[in-house]
Amino acid sequence: MDFLSRYDLLGAFWVTVQLTVFSAIGSLVWGTVLAAMRVSPVPVMRAFGTAYVNLVRNTPLTLIIIGASLGLYSTLGLALADDTSGTFLKDNNFRLAVLGFVAYTATFVCESLRAGINTVPVGQAEAARALGLRFGQTLGIVVLPQAFRAVIAPLASVLIALTKNTTVASAIGVAEASLLMSEMIENESDKLFLVFASIAVGFVVLTLPTGLLLGWVAKKVAVKR
Amino acid sequence: MTAAAAATPMIRMSGVDKFFGPLHVLRNIDLEVPKGQVVVVLGPSGSGKSTLCRTINRLEPIDKGTIEVDGQPLPAEGRALAKLRAEVGMVFQQFNLFAHKTIVENVMLAPVRVRGVGKDEARRTALELLERVGIATQADKYPAQLSGGQQQRAAIARALAMRPKVMLFDEPTSALDPEMVQEVLDVMTTLAAEGMTMLVVTHEMGFARKAADRVLFMADGEVVEDATPEEFFGAPKSARARDFLGKILTH
Amino acid sequence: MRFTRMLRVGAAVAALALAAACGGGGGGTSGKSLAQRAKDTKKLTVGIKFDQPGLGQKTPDGKFEGFDIDVARYVAKQLGVDEGNIEFKKAESAQRENMIEKGEVDYVVGTYSINDKRKEKVSFAGPYFVTGQDLLVRADNTDITGPDALNGKKLCSVKGSTPAQKIKTDFSQQAELQEYGGYSECLTGLSTGKLDALTTDAVILAGYAAQNPGKFKLVGKVFTEEKYGIGLKKGDAEGRDAINKAIEKMISDGAWKASLEKHVGPAGYKIPDPPTVSEK
Repeated sequence: MDFLSRYDLLGAFWVTVQLTVFSAIGSLVWGTVLAAMRVSPVPVMRAFGTAYVNLVRNTPLTLIIIGASLGLYSTLGLALADDTSGTFLKDNNFRLAVLGFVAYTATFVCESLRAGINTVPVGQAEAARALGLRFGQTLGIVVLPQAFRAVIAPLASVLIALTKNTTVASAIGVAEASLLMSEMIENESDKLFLVFASIAVGFVVLTLPTGLLLGWVAKKVAVKR
Repeated sequence: MTAAAAATPMIRMSGVDKFFGPLHVLRNIDLEVPKGQVVVVLGPSGSGKSTLCRTINRLEPIDKGTIEVDGQPLPAEGRALAKLRAEVGMVFQQFNLFAHKTIVENVMLAPVRVRGVGKDEARRTALELLERVGIATQADKYPAQLSGGQQQRAAIARALAMRPKVMLFDEPTSALDPEMVQEVLDVMTTLAAEGMTMLVVTHEMGFARKAADRVLFMADGEVVEDATPEEFFGAPKSARARDFLGKILTH
Repeated sequence: MRFTRMLRVGAAVAALALAAACGGGGGGTSGKSLAQRAKDTKKLTVGIKFDQPGLGQKTPDGKFEGFDIDVARYVAKQLGVDEGNIEFKKAESAQRENMIEKGEVDYVVGTYSINDKRKEKVSFAGPYFVTGQDLLVRADNTDITGPDALNGKKLCSVKGSTPAQKIKTDFSQQAELQEYGGYSECLTGLSTGKLDALTTDAVILAGYAAQNPGKFKLVGKVFTEEKYGIGLKKGDAEGRDAINKAIEKMISDGAWKASLEKHVGPAGYKIPDPPTVSEK
């Protein structure tokens, strides 16, 4: 079992955690904006939201991540880090990956939220409008807070999927857990099962508590009608 | 106040038509409600009375005609409409209290968010209003913890918190258990007695007799009778009204 | 480090379970030497790379070509098996030992470096080629002259590969490393100028250079040594000796050099001297 101590598993999973956290925050924000667009009374916004979600959600994630690196950076020259820092590639790849994950995961957040919005009775929004709240206030103060509470469990699934999806970042060289796994496979060809098992256990350690915690929160904050 | 201003009706509808698809739900409605008047709208279900009520704050847009509230034509969607709605209180059949907020938060919400009233002041006013409708002790509970009658009284308090010029009631007691109807009607009767302009869609004949200044009887999207309660209940002119009253009163 | 310990225990449990589950399989070709099998059945199954230009590549019309393919065919022929009776199977790097152990393939010819770790699970014949890690740069590049001239450069290699790890451990102070899932992504970055060099075994680089004439060139200063061998079932001494004999014959009758010149020569890659077969 000593071979494990030769690898920085903790460091690699820390990168996985960072990818997950930054991407989750970004997707929650962008996904909420998309959901707001999809239910807004402005036709142009609705059309944009619908087109975006259908396009991005149906594109393979690997394509999006590699597209971010080869398309945005290699071809179009979009740099998200300081080119002279000496860690440019590392930082730039990390940020491109987060950008890709946010673009992709936000579509799932948006659709979950939209399902959540549908669980909020129409009367809630009517009462808000009748009191003089504008569209944004109705959505932000009355509808979305109730929608969020209804979709914490589905959002937990999205978060768990995101955690596992971060392995795709290794395709553009982000040094997260699965990239370390590639190195271990290369070097430890005699211990393949151990390599797979240790990475799998690492992901379970990350995702299992996420699911349990959010399941508990979902029950705790559920809106009673 | 000049004579002209006093003569401006609180609600004026003229030539209003409304369709739901092929269904003609409001037919050429002309209506003026002077300030301080309590109007009860009666009629069989499907007669368009709820729709009429909901067009006045544009929860239902109309297809033809004009609606004015206090001399001001209803604006299209947007800020101006929100501003006008803030001055028109509405009470729904299903209460529609915000399920994720406590009773007092429900009452405070619009004054704070729409009018910019300070939280402390809004809370003080909210508690006074809850006292007035008799549920001050329930202030910190969530809607689902209250009975239907209590919820509807809270909803009335929530509407009153905006100090509306006029109150619309869309079948406020239809979803209540019978034993809770009276507590809501009592609040409404008090409100009427205080001089609030009210338009009430209801099946409560007792309330119509006691509190209304005027009764509108609707059928098939039209106002068939427009009379005082005494006239309407004493000697209905149309056959449809007689038929309706016959069914209701023998129940 | 309680986390690490927990991970180890978990990994051990999982590995045991997997080992138990998989223990029953395999062994389909056990017992007989592959040389004997070739003689009896006149058929062989060979693991190769499908995506390595110049070495082992499956062309769009379903043919196989490259230096490794030629070696595989030459060896088969010496074992008495015609070209048409060879079944080629795709052998991913991480899968090679596994496929040999389970008898899915008789031998593997696929840029397969001989090392001690692998020898614990499989036997090697050869080496049939010796190469080393080199650098591929744009044809007009002049400042990258070798591994000592990587200051501030952006290198690219395949994620997790030995060449990538070599850069991380030995050159991380000077150069930045971009890892991609495959070499073709590296070539994109290299041609747009966002990356400065691609690094892996020289002969692999030569294959890519030959595939894109005039665009890239090899620097030509190898800084590691990789001996490519032919992997076969552990302990099959008879099979190993037969393959070794075939390799020696291929080198001596000129087929070895001819194949290299055809597949990786066009890149201007200087073909090294043939190795001495040493796996005995």
